[in-house]
Amino acid sequence: MLFENMSMAFHAIKANKMRAFLTMLGIIIGIGSVISIVSIGDTLRSMFTDIYKDVGLTQAYIGIGYWIEDVHQSDYFNLDDLDRMKEVFGDEIAYIDSGASASSKVQAGRINMDFDFTGIDYNYIDVQPVTILSGRYLNEGDILGRKKNVVIEEESAVKLFGTADAVGKTFRTTIYGYTDEYNIVGVYRKEMSPFMKLMMGGSSDRGTALIPYTILTWPNDYFYYCHVFAKEGIDLQNFFDRLTAYIAKIKGRQPEDYSQTTAISEMGSVDSVMGGISAAVGGIAAISLLVGGIGIMNIMLVSVTERTREIGIRKALGARTRDVLIQFLTESALMSACGGALGVALAVSLVSLGGMAFGIPVVIKPSVVILAVSFSAVVGIFFGLYPASKAAKADPIEALRYE
Amino acid sequence: MKMIKNPFVRKKETPSYLTENVSEDLIRLENLVKIYDTGAIKVLGLKKINLTIKRGEFVAIMGQSGSGKSTLMNILGCLDRPSLGHYYLDGVDTAELTPNELSDIRNRKIGFVFQSFNLISRTSALKNVEIPMIYAHRPKKERRERALQLLEKVGLGKRFEHMPNELSGGQRQRVAIARALANEPPLILADEPTGNLDTASSIEIMEIFSELHREGATVVVVTHEEDIAAFTHRIIRFQDGKVISDEPNPNPTVTGHENHMEGLYRARENGKEN
Ligand SMILES: Nc1ncnc2c1ncn2[C@@H]1O[C@H](COP(=O)(O)OP(=O)(O)O)[C@@H](O)[C@H]1O
Ligand SMILES: [Mg+2]
Repeated sequence: MLFENMSMAFHAIKANKMRAFLTMLGIIIGIGSVISIVSIGDTLRSMFTDIYKDVGLTQAYIGIGYWIEDVHQSDYFNLDDLDRMKEVFGDEIAYIDSGASASSKVQAGRINMDFDFTGIDYNYIDVQPVTILSGRYLNEGDILGRKKNVVIEEESAVKLFGTADAVGKTFRTTIYGYTDEYNIVGVYRKEMSPFMKLMMGGSSDRGTALIPYTILTWPNDYFYYCHVFAKEGIDLQNFFDRLTAYIAKIKGRQPEDYSQTTAISEMGSVDSVMGGISAAVGGIAAISLLVGGIGIMNIMLVSVTERTREIGIRKALGARTRDVLIQFLTESALMSACGGALGVALAVSLVSLGGMAFGIPVVIKPSVVILAVSFSAVVGIFFGLYPASKAAKADPIEALRYE
Repeated sequence: MKMIKNPFVRKKETPSYLTENVSEDLIRLENLVKIYDTGAIKVLGLKKINLTIKRGEFVAIMGQSGSGKSTLMNILGCLDRPSLGHYYLDGVDTAELTPNELSDIRNRKIGFVFQSFNLISRTSALKNVEIPMIYAHRPKKERRERALQLLEKVGLGKRFEHMPNELSGGQRQRVAIARALANEPPLILADEPTGNLDTASSIEIMEIFSELHREGATVVVVTHEEDIAAFTHRIIRFQDGKVISDEPNPNPTVTGHENHMEGLYRARENGKEN
């Protein structure tokens, strides 16, 4: 019986293809915009999740607030402060450094190049994994001894030396006014997500290298930030708050005098922006679904009137009220679900095209698609109810007399 | 374990109004009146009809246009209700039935053949014949087999896939007859079944009705042509919504197996000369 109804509904829609398509437009636009925005949101969210995974989702920068006017040298950090924090929060801190970096011109032979140096501790590799292609990573001796040793990124090495096999080679650069010869002790490669590559795309003519953070804190050993990675699986916000409170205490300040920049709060702002857009598009979608539903009701009323005679014949042959009701409900549900499916197809092609244009892998959740098509079927049933019950209640002899 | 009633599966046991009561009178009309209320004036379609048709009879209902034949047939077919009086079908007073119960009666007990065929368009002959069986919830395979058998029986075995608009009038009416027979109803009603057909087709249709009668069905045919009525065994004449005569036909036309067409054409020509 269900199959019979489906096939009848299918044939009825097929008999009036153009009319059905025009009727479906409202649903197509409604469902299409919902799927588009949800997929764009999911894509952005996954993009940001990936980026922050590359950057490190558990990290935070804590420093004296930019709004504080009477800043003293004691408000900054020194290496002892970092050691005390490591001691007190040993169970929660995965990694800590000064968060300092430097950019400067590098010269090797006749090649000159701009480089970005990231100051790191020897265990930075634990929180920001890289592959060592040759040589070694920086070790504790490099850090404590402020050795002029660097680990260079593979492509930067190729640009600077014409080969990735750069271990043992040297370059000259000036950091904080001091010009020195630096030794390359290792070459690394960083695996990056496509999103991250996209974001880094423009800066590929610059070189990158890792350098002992103690070089960047020298000579006065005071620095602005404390850059910390928390261990996985702890309550990040709670931990960062306690760490900030501890810092404020040892510095004789109030916790609110220190600013906290965390990856999780950046993620949160993405969600809230997406939430706003979703609400706006949701409203548009709701209106077009309503209009689409009314369109379906209208065309079903036309269809019921056109097929009065058929209804009469069916009743004469033994169709009960419910048989006719279900026949027409199936038709409106199918029409609406087709609209939903077309809307999904439209959204998927638009979002995929956009993704292709920007080189972003898009996220389209099957659950969202199934939900959208089912919802449009429900819209069809709801708006088909009145026309279908009108058909179902028809008196057989009156319906047969209808010309 | 509590059984949850599936609203899509109809109860298995047959309701009492559908059981075959095997009452000798398949149709019994008591003081049947039909009033058409058209607002300004009330038209009396039927005026106190009393009539009994027994199981297995082959009856013609004749009369001029507007004499109330269709009005009667629609009531007999449970498509319409009488304004006054009673219609007992197989012992059941149809006045007491709900619209859905009347649907069931039409589905199981009555096969209706219309003058204008009333096939569902863009639907194959086979599907049209299957429709009453769909509403009787018969399994798909059984439906298809029986529909093919019935189309074979009315001589359309090879045309089961044709759409109504690909068939001639006579062929369409034969599909309609096959459809009327789908659920083996005890009562076959035909309102001017040959009204839109040429002579050859008309004769073929009447032969089918004769055959159904021989097989035991009760057949009531409305016509205003004497040579069509001549096939039946009892002729009831109507005028102004009343029965004016009700007589047996002692010599019903019987079609032989050879040359019967020729004979019948002659019979029809003679009829017209009278
Ligand atoms: N739906 C209707 N509304 C009003 N009057 C009707 C209706 N149907 C039939 N009649 C009237 O009832 C009478 C009988 O009609 P009908 O049964 O169709 O006659 P027949 O089939 O013998 O030609 C006629 O006078 C006709 O005008
Ligand atoms: Mg008539």
